[in-house]
Amino acid sequence: MSFLAPLFLLGALAVAVPVIIHLTHREKKDVVPFPSLMFLRKIPYRSVRRQRLRHLFLFALRCLALILLALAFARPFFESSRASAASALGPREVVFVVDHSYSMGYEDRLSRAKAEVGGRIQSLGGEDLASVVVFSDRAEILNQPTSDKEVLEAAVAGIQLSARTTGFGPGLKLAKRILDESELPRKGVVLVTDFQRLGFEGEDDDVWLPAGTVLTPVDLSSTQTENLSLTSVSLERDEASGRERLTASARVTRKAPADAAPVSSRISLEIDGRALQTKPLELAANTSATIGFDPVTVPAGEARGTIRLGDDALPQDNVYHFVLSPGQALSVLNVEEGARRTRRSFYVERALAIGDRPSFRTESKMLSQLRASDLSGTDVVILNDVPSLPAATAGLLSEFVNKGGGLVVVLGETSSKNSFAEGASELFPAPLGGVVDRARDWGGTLSYLDYGSPVFEVFNAPHSGDFSGAKFFRYRAFDSVVSEGVLARYDDGVPALVERRLGSGRVLVWTSTLDTFWNDLARQPVFLPFMHQLVKRAASYAEASSWHTVGEVLDVERYLAMVLEGESESGASGRSFDLVITPPSSKKIVLPRSEERALLALEEQGFYDIRRAGTGGGASSSSVAVNLDTVESDLSPLDPEELVASVTFRETGAPGSGGVEAGDSREAQENRQGYWWFLLAGALLLLASETLLSNRLSMAPR
Amino acid sequence: MARRSDRVDSAPGSDRLFRFVDPHVLARISNLSLLARSVVEGFISGLHRSTYLGRSVDFAEHRAYMPGDDIRRIDWRLFARTDRFYVKEFEADTNTSFTLLLDVSRSMSFGSEGLTKLDYARFLAASLAVFSQKQRDRIGIVTFDEDIVDFVPPSAKHLEIVLHTIERATAKKPSDYRRPLLKVAEAIHRRGIVVLISDLYAEPEAILDAVKGLRYKGNDLIVFHVLDPAELKFPYAEAASYQDLETGEAVPVIPDYLRDEYRTLVQQHIQKLTRSLGDNQIDYSLLDTSMPLDYALFHYLASRERLTRTR
Repeated sequence: MSFLAPLFLLGALAVAVPVIIHLTHREKKDVVPFPSLMFLRKIPYRSVRRQRLRHLFLFALRCLALILLALAFARPFFESSRASAASALGPREVVFVVDHSYSMGYEDRLSRAKAEVGGRIQSLGGEDLASVVVFSDRAEILNQPTSDKEVLEAAVAGIQLSARTTGFGPGLKLAKRILDESELPRKGVVLVTDFQRLGFEGEDDDVWLPAGTVLTPVDLSSTQTENLSLTSVSLERDEASGRERLTASARVTRKAPADAAPVSSRISLEIDGRALQTKPLELAANTSATIGFDPVTVPAGEARGTIRLGDDALPQDNVYHFVLSPGQALSVLNVEEGARRTRRSFYVERALAIGDRPSFRTESKMLSQLRASDLSGTDVVILNDVPSLPAATAGLLSEFVNKGGGLVVVLGETSSKNSFAEGASELFPAPLGGVVDRARDWGGTLSYLDYGSPVFEVFNAPHSGDFSGAKFFRYRAFDSVVSEGVLARYDDGVPALVERRLGSGRVLVWTSTLDTFWNDLARQPVFLPFMHQLVKRAASYAEASSWHTVGEVLDVERYLAMVLEGESESGASGRSFDLVITPPSSKKIVLPRSEERALLALEEQGFYDIRRAGTGGGASSSSVAVNLDTVESDLSPLDPEELVASVTFRETGAPGSGGVEAGDSREAQENRQGYWWFLLAGALLLLASETLLSNRLSMAPR
Repeated sequence: MARRSDRVDSAPGSDRLFRFVDPHVLARISNLSLLARSVVEGFISGLHRSTYLGRSVDFAEHRAYMPGDDIRRIDWRLFARTDRFYVKEFEADTNTSFTLLLDVSRSMSFGSEGLTKLDYARFLAASLAVFSQKQRDRIGIVTFDEDIVDFVPPSAKHLEIVLHTIERATAKKPSDYRRPLLKVAEAIHRRGIVVLISDLYAEPEAILDAVKGLRYKGNDLIVFHVLDPAELKFPYAEAASYQDLETGEAVPVIPDYLRDEYRTLVQQHIQKLTRSLGDNQIDYSLLDTSMPLDYALFHYLASRERLTRTR
């Protein structure tokens, strides 16, 4: 038996009142004068207290009436009666919504969750339907609604910890969908989770459960949690003695009760499975520390790295993986006309000499000396104000661009409309025109920049680069109007930078010089980042991340193209090979060539191995490091009532829903709690009897 | 006044039916002097056969003549028979001081059956006063509560004053024995009879301590312990708050559960008083206000007389 308002049971203490009355009550006549209390006071007081109860039956009536009153106000109900009342109300549709985010790996939360759901499955009625939904930041239904307990138990037993973060919305939405489709009269959701606060995004109208749904929260959180986690890793690469070195550092955070003692642990750096360095670590409660490792030489090929922290109650967030790819320097070939070489390329070379992500390997060539072999291994060719482009060279460049190379054409004093006449016209969006001289009006400025373009997007944010300071005294115009691919224009509308796709490659035409002869852009602070962006755009460069986070979708093909330099064969016609992907769990996934885009959802923590089918790995394979989203490491719990209140239906909610409270229907509640009426009636009956009896006793002769 | 004179006239000649007049009936007579007188007279009518009046000239003993003795006291008849000088000794003069010590503390105002203890004590005091006057004793009275209220020194002419003092005595204050009785002991210079009339609500030791001063000065001390039958029997049935008349303090009491213990304590108190006062040659007599006063007085004086004879 349970009570809705157990505090009212304290009212049973009122039984003391009749006890006192029956022990000490005297009919309140006038005070009796007595000459002296000398003798009465000598009688020990306890003898006054230790008295027999008088009128035992009356006393019993009074006590019983008070106890019944207290019980009635405490609103008793019986579990057994609840079950029988429930069975009388018809079958139920129950959805077990089980959290399997990686925070459930804290201690034995997942096994407790399974045990909890298993127990509730056993208490289901024969006609009840149930389904199991697992959720993290997305939800999945494990079985269709069924009354077969074995199926349900098997579904529960198969729940595995995921590598995702907590989000209550998806799971509850899925449960809501199941309940919406159900026609059973009673509906219930059992939410089994550790109630992490980060998973709650406030009230959401979409997850309001249907009216009358009983949401039962099963809280698996602990009041005192302690967790050590690797929240971020930083990898700095530099060159020393001609070899690339890696300096790794990791940030470790400890969440613990404020009064917890400092904890010691160890943190190690592993490259290709070998622990290279291990460092001790001591952290007080709710503090963070950054641990720097000594520089290590980056291996020649691709290497897998892991930073590992000593185990604790939640070991999942103690590991951070990364992939060390070989150097990703862009090779730039600066081609110019010989006589003014030094002056013309000075600023370009100086700008490209600085930079580590990526670094640029700049090489200069005379146009006349340019050979096909020079283009091999080159990412970008800069034609810096060349007076003419022979047809053979134009053909080489055209082929180079078509295969994915990048070409930056800089127009200037020596370039004329006839310079690119022979076979080079396809490199330009429009025929070149004459020189626009703005010296008379103190130079023109760049008035339009396409900030959506990768070249200029880094300058989009405020205070991140000002092109308006640059004066352009001369530039070249096109003979016809160019409307496509214009990334920048001067204030008179003449295109300043035009992009043109050619095959797999890209041509960028800059209509003024990249030195200080026609403009002073090279003296502006924005010149250096502009040059970097220009070359990166021409090379279609995309930085290969050292790691990814669980939940991201990886474009495998693109990733391979980035990592495996020069081996990309993708094009409009699609892949000519299958992709074999081996996730950390070692269940191979094959992406057939017929699939238009090779997209891979990263679901597991660890290293994914990606290779082409038919190859044994090596140079044609690559690894992807996948880490957990570290926000899940914050285990601070949410009050389950807050969540319940935000997703269960309220009377003030949407109109037309009948105003039924969340939980059982009114009838069901009343049926379960109706005993208080009988208790109250019994108490009143006893009190009436007490009145009669006490009247008779008081009138009886003494 | 006519009625008073009727009673005065009729009292001396009243027949034996009035010997044991119920104190309740006496309470209805407003004039205390008359009432007291009638009681005493009724009493004395039975006592005249005793030897009280001649006692003061009674021969006690002979003793050998000592130089310096008054030669008028020599018993010449004995000299004639024995040829030796003997002096006749007589009992002490019975014309003595008779002092009443009347307790007028608030506890004396208690009476369960119409007659309060103070009323009873007044009857007793008045009776004794008249009785002593008949013996030609000097009569005085002291009323006291926590201190002396009225002090009438013993005198042969003070009967009226004494009766008047008795009549106007009222119970107002709580009682104390030591202070007033010590003052009385200091004020009385001649040995005599001292009668203490009180309900004696104090520890026997305290009472003895208070009256010792009187006793040690050679007074013949008589203690009348006046108690209401309710005080002796505690016949109450209903549980109630019982209020101390002297202190005003109230105690919740269920008589059914306390009665036996109360009675035991009262009896122990009386026994202790009897013993401790008796040890100090102080007469002690318990008077129940439900008993007719003349009977009680007679009973006491008769027994005292018997004791005096045997002394």
